[in-house]
Amino acid sequence: MTTEFAIQTEGLTKHYGDVAALVDLDLDVRTGEVFGFLGPNGAGKTTMIRTILDEIRPTSGVASIHGMDTHDKSVEIRKHIGYLPGDLSMYPNLTGRDTLTYFANLRGGVDWDYVDQLADRLDADLTKKVGDLSSGNRQKVGVIQAFMNRPDVLIMDEPSSGLDPLIQREFQAMMREVASEGRTVFLSSHTLSEVQRVADRVGIIRHGHLIALEAVAALRSKAIRKVDLYFDADVDESVFVGLPGVREVESQNHHVVLSFDGQMETLLRVATDRYSLIDITTQEADLEEIFLTYYRDAETTG
Amino acid sequence: MLANVFTKTTQDWWKGMTIAVVTLGAFLVMGMAVYRDIDISIYTSMPDAFLSLFGIPNDADVGSLAYGAIYTGYGALTLTAVTLVLGAASIAGEERKGTLGLLLGNPKSRTYVLGSKAAALVLVTGLGALVLWVAGRATPALLDVDITGIDVEALVLAMSVNALFYGALAMAIGAWTGSRGLASGATAGIMVLSFVAVGLLPLIESLDFLAKAFPWYYFSASEPHLNGVNWGHIAVLLAGIVVFGVAAVIGVNRRDLKGQTVGVTLIDRLRANPTTAKVANLLAGTARVSRIWTKTISEYQGLLFIVATFMFLVMGVMIGPMYSLLDTALLDLSDALPEALLAAFGGGDMSTPEGWYQLESFGLMAPIAVMAATVMIGGRALAGEEENRTMGLLLANPIRRSTVVLEKTLAMVIAGLVVGFWTFAGVAAGSLLGGLGMSIGNIAAVSLLLTLLGLAFGALALCLSAATGRVPVAIYGAVGLALVFFLLNAFLPFSDRLGGWAKVSPFYYYLSSDPLVNGMHWGHGALLAGLAVALIALSVMLFQRRDLRQTG
Repeated sequence: MTTEFAIQTEGLTKHYGDVAALVDLDLDVRTGEVFGFLGPNGAGKTTMIRTILDEIRPTSGVASIHGMDTHDKSVEIRKHIGYLPGDLSMYPNLTGRDTLTYFANLRGGVDWDYVDQLADRLDADLTKKVGDLSSGNRQKVGVIQAFMNRPDVLIMDEPSSGLDPLIQREFQAMMREVASEGRTVFLSSHTLSEVQRVADRVGIIRHGHLIALEAVAALRSKAIRKVDLYFDADVDESVFVGLPGVREVESQNHHVVLSFDGQMETLLRVATDRYSLIDITTQEADLEEIFLTYYRDAETTG
Repeated sequence: MLANVFTKTTQDWWKGMTIAVVTLGAFLVMGMAVYRDIDISIYTSMPDAFLSLFGIPNDADVGSLAYGAIYTGYGALTLTAVTLVLGAASIAGEERKGTLGLLLGNPKSRTYVLGSKAAALVLVTGLGALVLWVAGRATPALLDVDITGIDVEALVLAMSVNALFYGALAMAIGAWTGSRGLASGATAGIMVLSFVAVGLLPLIESLDFLAKAFPWYYFSASEPHLNGVNWGHIAVLLAGIVVFGVAAVIGVNRRDLKGQTVGVTLIDRLRANPTTAKVANLLAGTARVSRIWTKTISEYQGLLFIVATFMFLVMGVMIGPMYSLLDTALLDLSDALPEALLAAFGGGDMSTPEGWYQLESFGLMAPIAVMAATVMIGGRALAGEEENRTMGLLLANPIRRSTVVLEKTLAMVIAGLVVGFWTFAGVAAGSLLGGLGMSIGNIAAVSLLLTLLGLAFGALALCLSAATGRVPVAIYGAVGLALVFFLLNAFLPFSDRLGGWAKVSPFYYYLSSDPLVNGMHWGHGALLAGLAVALIALSVMLFQRRDLRQTG
């Protein structure tokens, strides 16, 4: 069951009528990694997931999970995956435990000690009817459902929605544990901080196109910095626009904040030339900014 | 069109109403055309009791026959069914969808929302009435039929007010309880019971006064298409509407609104109680979720219980003894009535217990009952999970799509058998109680054919569900086709030229062999079963090829 790549797509394309939801997607997700799949709403993340689950069929291209074609071998594949849909819906009349029993029966049984352990970690109440649970507590049942058969590949679409910060941290630890056991996590998200914390690599998707595929560490080392210049008075931000390495400028209340990946010397010269600079702070950019940067690049290049 | 709650509701509702009334208009054309071509003089020789059962006047002519059968019968039932569904959806429907809270997040009172819904209901019913009136006036002109003496306006007015009566009742129940299922179910039950009672009670001399206790009496008893508006009866219905309206306002304002939560059922309480927990868990938990088909059946246990009880008690047990109570004059009719005529009402020769049962139970009510179960399950089988967005989760398990279709089909087959069995048990008991001496084997035969008929249309709904993933398309499509086929089978035999075409209707293979008298017709049974199997196979193919829908 273990191949080098957990998920592979080649030229995967999906059109809904005239709308191209997914265009020529080539993606390799390695076995044993947590792969973050990033993009804003409507970028094609869910379409990609639904395609590899054989819920919908590609217009062209192929996809495989552990070397098995996602359409021809879909039943075999589903023995080895766990899936948490985005915008999770379950059967409101069933309790959490009934729901898990139902899916366990369809899978031919699960390890109930492990289920209880998962429920414990997530602080999930399995005795209440799903329809009576808050969305966060319902999400926990969904998470347990995805993890409970110890799948080789976990596919999760926006899994953290509704979970409170404490539970999110536990959930992230659970994902890292899956990866450390040599299993694979495919995590679709627009919560960049989460991906930053758990993912090994990240793919960024926009308008159905994969626009970047990098290791999280490499993304950070792009050396985009956030520079905050503090002056004794309001300054005209336009003097910084167009300087080499300046990507984004905002000014407010004596501060000028820049996304910057050029030579600090040039920047400081301009800053001190005409104005009185009081303080300067600089920090490594988070994925949020990198993400926006990629977006802007992709937009300007077409 | 989204200016306010009233206009949005009207926009949401007008389509269903339009489909219903346009269909009815088409049936009026068809019915009148058929009545024009046949010799209707036989009606004049029939006793009053028989005629009153079908709302046919003593001096029947083409016009009064058509309006009586199509508008007063099917038409009034259909119009009422639409308004009661909309009435039940008003408050309880929005609550169930979880949109009522959102709506009331705006600075509008609950009374305002209810009032807007009520106004929309009146307007949509009015639009329906308008179409029925236009069809009622245009048809005779088109077919060159003389309708002197027929008061179309009075009939349409009475139909509308009657429909609004049940719409208001459903709205009130929905407003008090927040349960759409309860509101539409209880109201539909009252409607059917009242329709049947008003048709049957006048036949029993000592009990005829009881008919006045049922609201349908104030619509049909005065025969508005012949006698004009009976303002007294209209006033009774209007008073009811006002009472229900006030009750709805009080109901919706006094209680806590439901979120998108689920009700606590008896079985939930049993599960919570330590002494009964074990058994209840087996029933509600372990057994229910052991397979896809068990879970599917469990979702329809309420519907099945109601349908099976109705068939057993009302259509089965009660009809038997009633036969003995009937006016003996009615029993001498056998020779006077042409078979083709009786076929229009589901067939059946009133002078024999078999004919009586066929006319009262098996002709119309039994098919409706069995289809209520099979079409509902078949139509919701796949599309329901897609619209509730649970299909993706279900199919993330290592099961084939064909397995899902077949297990859901199994649930539908069981439902059809349950309804068939309780119909059989009820009729057999009714026959014993009334001392009618009907053949048990033949009762079993007709019940089996009934089940197969239900499965054929259930499979049709399943097929539409598999092809489109849309519940309304599946259910309304199957119900619409069932109605068309029922009427084809009822009316075509009147025509010499087109009589043979009745065989295209599945209904033909249900009762045309007169199974209550002649026993099982295996050929017809095999045909219905074959149709069901073919449609199920087609469903599997269609569902395997299609992209699942993402949202409802």
